[in-house]
Amino acid sequence: MFWKLRLPLIITFFVGIVPIVSFFLTERVPGVSFARDTVERYMIIIAGFALLLGVVNVIQGNVRKIERRAPGWPFAISLLAGLIIMGSFGLLSAFRVGPFQGILTAPDGGDTPFFWMTRNLFNPLQAAMFSLLAFYIASAAFRAFRVRNLEATILLLAAFLVMLGRTPLGEYVFSWLPGGERWLPAATDWIMAVPNAAAQRGIIIGAALGAASLSLRVILGIERSYLGMREK
Amino acid sequence: MKLERLARIDRRIVYLLIGIGTVLPILFPIGFPVSTTPPVERLFEKIESLGPDDVVLVSFDYGPTTAPENSPMAEAVLRHCLSRRIKVIAIALFPIGGVTMAGEVMSAVTAEYPELRDGEDYVLLGYKDGAQAAMKQIGIDIASVFPTSMDGRTAGEIPLMRSVRNYDDIALVCSFATNIIGEWWANLINAQFGTPIAVGTTAVSAPKYYAFLDSGQMLGLLGGLKGASEYEQLLLDAYPDLRARYARTGVYTAMKGMDAQTVDHAIIMLFILIGNGIHFLTRRQRQSEESG
Repeated sequence: MFWKLRLPLIITFFVGIVPIVSFFLTERVPGVSFARDTVERYMIIIAGFALLLGVVNVIQGNVRKIERRAPGWPFAISLLAGLIIMGSFGLLSAFRVGPFQGILTAPDGGDTPFFWMTRNLFNPLQAAMFSLLAFYIASAAFRAFRVRNLEATILLLAAFLVMLGRTPLGEYVFSWLPGGERWLPAATDWIMAVPNAAAQRGIIIGAALGAASLSLRVILGIERSYLGMREK
Repeated sequence: MKLERLARIDRRIVYLLIGIGTVLPILFPIGFPVSTTPPVERLFEKIESLGPDDVVLVSFDYGPTTAPENSPMAEAVLRHCLSRRIKVIAIALFPIGGVTMAGEVMSAVTAEYPELRDGEDYVLLGYKDGAQAAMKQIGIDIASVFPTSMDGRTAGEIPLMRSVRNYDDIALVCSFATNIIGEWWANLINAQFGTPIAVGTTAVSAPKYYAFLDSGQMLGLLGGLKGASEYEQLLLDAYPDLRARYARTGVYTAMKGMDAQTVDHAIIMLFILIGNGIHFLTRRQRQSEESG
């Protein structure tokens, strides 16, 4: 009971309360800044282990997929191959083993094997994946962006103004009006700075309040689902 | 019937037009003029107010997916800092390719300033996992987060790092971000340490940053390729000797990218107009058939 429940709750309470207390009392209470610095250093180390946990999880999941010959299993092979090749290149480069002298630039000024792989494989693949979005957006806009009701009309008008205003095209469209070349960028800026910022602020405040309340529940031991238990 | 056929246009035609709209302006630049906006001007003016005794922390918080938007803005800000002899400390907090982006941009831009020295005028400290924790720890002691530079020199061996302990010694943080890391600089670091923050982000992420801009938690914002091209324009107006670097063929810049973006926006807007035109006409056709 102590090891599985009380100890994790005590650790959670301690690491959760230290940053909050230190924010208000750093200079006044002895030991608080030491506790804060220690917790923050541990956060960086634990984040590194979380990355390791993710790698283990990816390997386990994809090995199982290959074993079961689940749909798309050949893709799992290529994923694991990529992970192992790039991962081992990265590790060897970090420890400067043999020809793997560093992550970015080799002592002779050229690219290290890891950087070469990154430049010529990883970067183009990632960029290609993301650039596909432009094609999907264009196709989706043609098929789905319809003026069906008042809300959709307002959305469409705002989108049109912002799309025009975010390119020099908008300045040309209204340049025949006196001062017209400045009108659209100003309108775009107003949409972004006023209605958009107001809506974003509401979302951010709502999400922050939600995060604060959930954090308090975790710190006080009310929310225990992270321990594999139901709440108290 | 013809309208319905047009409404079901093969998506490959849409893709083809977008492809042409992207490739042609890159091969044959149009050179649209760029007008500037206050969020970009504020960052430019802030850097203009700094000098050789100031240090700017540049955080590469993006990966290759958004490099066409983020890299030109990072390059422009770096050129601006180095042209003014402002000291630059570069770090990377984005796990998927952040440090290689930092390496590419830093090596490309610093090569243009052979008179500046690595370790004295600029330094790349590398990547650190756990972005939020790393950011907060920099507020206490940057050397404890980045004990060595990217090439393995310890903080004590780097002259620039001897004068920088935490955010008190940093005049400005510029984060080039693709995800939430840019927000953390504003709502965590500016809020707790008061350090001036500017964020360069993708166009799709830019809307949420306006809330931080308005609250004063960020002093400047470069939103997408447009923001990057505005910064390039301001830079070229103030430093005409940089024009030759930006005009070189084979060098990708935000101003060149804006040509493709402008044409693509026009194509997308045209598709939206056609789509809605078809929607209205078919609806009217159906209504008249029903009433008839």
